[in-house]
Amino acid sequence: MAGRVDSDKLKEKASDNLNDLPTFNAENMQNNAKVMYYSRTFMSIIGGVVAGILGLTGLMGFVFYFLIMGITSAGLAAKAGFSIHSYFDSWNKILLDGFFGGLMSFVLFWTFAYDIVHIF
Amino acid sequence: MAEDLVLDTAIRDWVLIPLSVVMVLIGVLRYFVSKLMRSSSQLPDPKIVKEGQVIIRARNLRAAANFIPAKSFRARKVYYSNEENGLLFVPKGQAQNAQAQMFSDPNMAMDMMKKNLSMIIPQTLTFAWVNFFFSGFVAAKIPFPLTQRFRSMLQNGIDLSTVDVSYVSSRSWYFLNLFGLRGLFSLILGEENATDDTQRMMQMSGFGMDPSKSLSAEKDGLDIVQHEWALPKFEQRAEAVLRKLVS
Repeated sequence: MAGRVDSDKLKEKASDNLNDLPTFNAENMQNNAKVMYYSRTFMSIIGGVVAGILGLTGLMGFVFYFLIMGITSAGLAAKAGFSIHSYFDSWNKILLDGFFGGLMSFVLFWTFAYDIVHIF
Repeated sequence: MAEDLVLDTAIRDWVLIPLSVVMVLIGVLRYFVSKLMRSSSQLPDPKIVKEGQVIIRARNLRAAANFIPAKSFRARKVYYSNEENGLLFVPKGQAQNAQAQMFSDPNMAMDMMKKNLSMIIPQTLTFAWVNFFFSGFVAAKIPFPLTQRFRSMLQNGIDLSTVDVSYVSSRSWYFLNLFGLRGLFSLILGEENATDDTQRMMQMSGFGMDPSKSLSAEKDGLDIVQHEWALPKFEQRAEAVLRKLVS
């Protein structure tokens, strides 16, 4: 799937000035942000289908969404080797960016799977 | 009121799935149509392109100001913001002219209208189709409970007031698809192209005022920049790196 393949292309982007102001290559940063967005969207779709199949309802479903987003953030952090500052601006960007963007897709696929499986 | 309704399997097969499939296909179709319509026209005006390039150059200068020595930065700054023949300095009368010209240019206006229409028409048509064919029955159950106030919005064709608000009509399934498929489109179509209203509206509103105001904005930005030499001990650092390589 496109999201997974592209995460291999997280590129080194800050110059390695050890004691100076960090400089960021804009194009690489944009690419990294795009990769993150794809990953989150993909995971929220898959998470929606899983939540529907499992039969989660109500609050449990939203808790599951936040769980999926947390797993995605952890996965992205691990992929960046936990040295966030050489790939992203700050920790906030990798943890919170696009957190709620996948919510609508999640709800759609959750409803879809839940209906198909449970109210057949 | 809290029992589970048993819904007909035929609803799944003939309402939910076809509606989603149709919306995905219409989205893909709209993407290709907008791509075709865009590439078949538009010779860009050379004056506007030149101004755009000047803006990009000034922006690059501002971004990388700290990597060139102070004197060369100042020389470049004067070149751009000089009162008489600086590139960014546009006399007031001329600025207004460019903007008015852009708006009254029939090509541009028609292009914008075409893009707008290509967004609105499929949505309107699909909505009318859904309302006509798929109204009057319960289509889906959303897995989370909502308050009673949503009932009129979500259960549009269903006239029983004792049915749980979770059981929604197909109109709300249409809206759910409309918002939820945006993420899917961004995955399968590359960039999120013709499917996001707000993004395109922002693009369109920004483009109209572009040439006249952004020149003076760039000039102000360039005036503001403080030069801070970011590579002070560069020779020593280069020496250290080379030593490490050699030894």
